[in-house]
Amino acid sequence: MRKKNDNNQRLLAIIPARNEAATVGEIVRRVRAAVGSAILVVNDASSDDTSAQARLAGACVIDLPSQLGAWGAAQTGLRYAKRNRFTAALTLDADGQHHPEELPTLLDGWRRSGANVAIGTFPQRLSLAKRLAWRYFRLLTGIGVQDFTSGLRVYDRNAIRVLASRQASLFDYQDLGVLMLLRKKGLDLHEVPTVMSPRRSGGSRVFSSWPMVARYMLHTTVLCFAQFGVRGRFAQARAGTHA
Amino acid sequence: MSAVITTALIGILMATAILYLVRRDHLHGSYALWWLAVAAAALLLGIFPQTIDWLGRITGIAYAPVLPIIFGLGMILLRMLKMDIDRSRSERQLRRLTQKLGILEEELAQTREVLKLQPSAETTASRTKTAQIIPLSKSGDA
Repeated sequence: MRKKNDNNQRLLAIIPARNEAATVGEIVRRVRAAVGSAILVVNDASSDDTSAQARLAGACVIDLPSQLGAWGAAQTGLRYAKRNRFTAALTLDADGQHHPEELPTLLDGWRRSGANVAIGTFPQRLSLAKRLAWRYFRLLTGIGVQDFTSGLRVYDRNAIRVLASRQASLFDYQDLGVLMLLRKKGLDLHEVPTVMSPRRSGGSRVFSSWPMVARYMLHTTVLCFAQFGVRGRFAQARAGTHA
Repeated sequence: MSAVITTALIGILMATAILYLVRRDHLHGSYALWWLAVAAAALLLGIFPQTIDWLGRITGIAYAPVLPIIFGLGMILLRMLKMDIDRSRSERQLRRLTQKLGILEEELAQTREVLKLQPSAETTASRTKTAQIIPLSKSGDA
């Protein structure tokens, strides 16, 4: 399922945000300057004025009535993209760890690879715990991505269709479950090295404490086992990743 | 004889409690059926506890009283599994509804914006009335 290499893509930039009033406005302006696409901020039931700041910066804003988590908010954006016939969607975090200036590089890498999905990763920022965790999951799933939790991604129309479906509604994070579903549907991934900065406010949602890490590892391992029937596509996905 | 009275009492109490709660109509279709079956079983085993001995002889289990315990536990486990499956389904539904609500609210706001921008001439008085802007409270208590 290779997409045609056309330049008249309708691109939507999706920014899930929860209590990011301090940075969201600036991010929206920088995204507009960098890629000039339509911008959608999905406000995940923030208690601060994230929504107002994003509107002020000129983004289209969806206010979720109750908190859905990082993936729930991102999926809302993907459903919006599908509904409004966008042909591509990119997601980035609102906290400033992803530099909007890197987006053209990511989009370029994505177009050139011809893959359905591109993931922007920054291997240098990974802690030892994360490195070990990802090595374990690479072994388990055969998906050769450096950073599974990177929220800096580009999806094409097919990927949007798959991820907007009911099947993708029970994931909690934009990570392995999402990638495994994409692979199950025969879509391919491409990894683009980018520059990121450490989070300014707050730590990683997943890697905040050891019990959380243990819970996450267990949860994701179970998810991997639930997907075991699709081992046949491993080689394919790997080839797509290293293309 | 008193043991039989005790079990009969327990069985009847359980059955009436379940029947009473089911009758109050708080249960959804198949759940009511399940609980009615439980009530019937409680009544049957309570009034005729010798059924268990008979079942023990048929199945070849020497200590018959464990039969209802094992069977009951198995049913409870199955029931819990079914509950978790149902909960996952409603969680999925709830998430999707929340997302759809957010998307529709945004589209509604945009539609209102478009309608507001239209010149409201005197000739379209009736139209402007239908397109009146109703202020929505920001607090999302939906």
